[in-house]
Amino acid sequence: MALIEIPVGPQHPALHEPIMLRVRADGEKVVDVQVVTGYNHRGAEKLGERNTWNKNVFLYSRICGICNTVHAQTYTQGVEAIGGIEVPPRAQFLRTLIMELERIHSHILIAAVMAEVVGFESLFMLMMRDREPVMMLKELVTGNRVLSDYYTLGGVRRDIDEVRKDKILKVLERVEERVKYYKKVFTEDFTLNKRLVGVGIIKAADAVKYSLVGPTLRGSGVKSDVRSDDPYAAYGEVPFKVITYDGGDCLSRMLVRFDETLQSIEIVRYVLTHLPQGPIAPKTPIRMLPAGEAFSRVEAPRGELIYHIVSKGGDKPYRVKVRTPSFHNIINGLIAYKEAKIADVPVILTSFDPCISCTERVLIIDEKSGNSRYIRLKDLGRGV
Amino acid sequence: MFSHKVIRYSPWLVHFNTGACNGCDIEVLASLTPYYDPERFGVKLAPNPRHADVMVVTGAVTKKAAERLKRLYDQMPSPKFVVAVGACAISGGVFSGSYSLVSGADKVVPVSMYVPGCPPRPEAILYGVVRLLSKLDGGMD
Amino acid sequence: MSKVVEFLRNIGLVQREVKQARRYVFEVSPERLREVVSGLIKVDENIYVSTISAVDYISEGFIEVNYCLWGINDAVMVVLKVKAPRDSPKVPTIHDLIPGALNSELDTYDLVGVVFEGNDKLRRGFLVPSEVVSQGIYPLRKDFKV
Repeated sequence: MALIEIPVGPQHPALHEPIMLRVRADGEKVVDVQVVTGYNHRGAEKLGERNTWNKNVFLYSRICGICNTVHAQTYTQGVEAIGGIEVPPRAQFLRTLIMELERIHSHILIAAVMAEVVGFESLFMLMMRDREPVMMLKELVTGNRVLSDYYTLGGVRRDIDEVRKDKILKVLERVEERVKYYKKVFTEDFTLNKRLVGVGIIKAADAVKYSLVGPTLRGSGVKSDVRSDDPYAAYGEVPFKVITYDGGDCLSRMLVRFDETLQSIEIVRYVLTHLPQGPIAPKTPIRMLPAGEAFSRVEAPRGELIYHIVSKGGDKPYRVKVRTPSFHNIINGLIAYKEAKIADVPVILTSFDPCISCTERVLIIDEKSGNSRYIRLKDLGRGV
Repeated sequence: MFSHKVIRYSPWLVHFNTGACNGCDIEVLASLTPYYDPERFGVKLAPNPRHADVMVVTGAVTKKAAERLKRLYDQMPSPKFVVAVGACAISGGVFSGSYSLVSGADKVVPVSMYVPGCPPRPEAILYGVVRLLSKLDGGMD
Repeated sequence: MSKVVEFLRNIGLVQREVKQARRYVFEVSPERLREVVSGLIKVDENIYVSTISAVDYISEGFIEVNYCLWGINDAVMVVLKVKAPRDSPKVPTIHDLIPGALNSELDTYDLVGVVFEGNDKLRRGFLVPSEVVSQGIYPLRKDFKV
């Protein structure tokens, strides 16, 4: 059997850096996986040094569309730490609300993509249908479906009223029921279990050593969640559980996300019923900051997101370092592919939630004949 | 133009992300689900660029992705069209001026339709594709 | 008091005051870095590399490499600040001690040009386009203007 090389990608837009996986396989068995990065490198860190503090809120939201509010949260809370800016409690609660709505739609999306990758297309379509109401709720709160631009330095830009509050609670009831049903499908469906159980196992010790974060780490049984360990926004006041599963395989990582979605719905309910009164943003916009630096951490849907912001005083940052969760999970998660089958590669990659692209393509090169052809990652998952 | 008329009934899309933040990508994906029902226009996601009639480009075009974009475009059979979705694919958006961008899909491949927005709504993306179809029909200037 | 922070204080590192809670910032010389990190993971093995962030202080003439480590058990962030001269920034690698540091080292080398001695996987073009690489530019250094 000839050793074949299969580049997966490169258009896999995993947040900050989409990558190409270069899979070397002996027959069906994966021998080695390498990674090629840089297709999505847009130089946002450098651009940030050019912009003012306020303009950067919009720039850093656009590093990732799916987790735009957590990027805005990490940046603004870092800047607020440097400037010693107090955020009003109502704004803190509203920030928590929008971040949790984002987590709900992000987790449903990746579960849907997982269904598609294993070839369960009707489940994908159903989950996408049930995700739409959550997008609608985001629009209701922020005015936009995806990129919300909800944040401003020291607060948020829009308030919420009783009508919107009731609408959110009502829609989430239906979403909760559906998420519970999909969790049941994922745990009980025979075909899904065949594809997910025991695939891409990462042991707890390895997960820590290789610096994996988020649901990938918690799926290996390590209890680590920025929301409870290093509380920000209103998480210090909101009761919630940190979900862990011990399996370390693809199913465990997916089940962590399902349970987290249910937790997020509870958090949204708590936030809406305990919303404090008061202002939502400072009266005058913040323009100048003193010198200083901040290490700002947030639990994004995909794991720990960290910004290192350095200020030398003035109206612009001196340096902003961004490290997104997928940067660790994709590149350091290569350990999970060892001994896997080729058809499992897309499943394992999807279980890390590397954000989503609907045109993943795979180039198969037969080393003997030198022929190459493009097929979709999805089809590879089905064993084409 | 006989071939143009054939495409009109069932344009197959291929979607390529050239360095987007995913915002446009999830909206392109959402526009392909039954909620927005693109198949009433015959629009379907093609499995392969060689089967596709219309390429949907999202994202600020990075220098590394530009080579791939050109290659994918060359692989598509004629007649072929490109739809640039979102502010970044049109001009580079907030990222314009960066050292790793060529900014704008039209710097690399000819673009027939621009769908503005950050990101555009799924309805807007479908509208852009349908407008392209009526353009083929001679129904639009 | 966290075991990790206690260990770092006991080996005589200079601690810097920071405003944020749960952040402990220490200054380390490049020669002592490996000793400190290997000591740290002996004290508490549940530590991961959150990120490695390099800042180019052009007027001061050095590049500061920040190793951000998160201790899962104690819920503390330890930041080790290592200074390297700007004309030849070299620090020892820690990716053999904590494998999770590899991607951050590659990223820092490609964008700021800090050489992690002992890491044989360093290469240009990890993120930046080949055009920038061929000009020998490290984009996140301060003398490169957008």
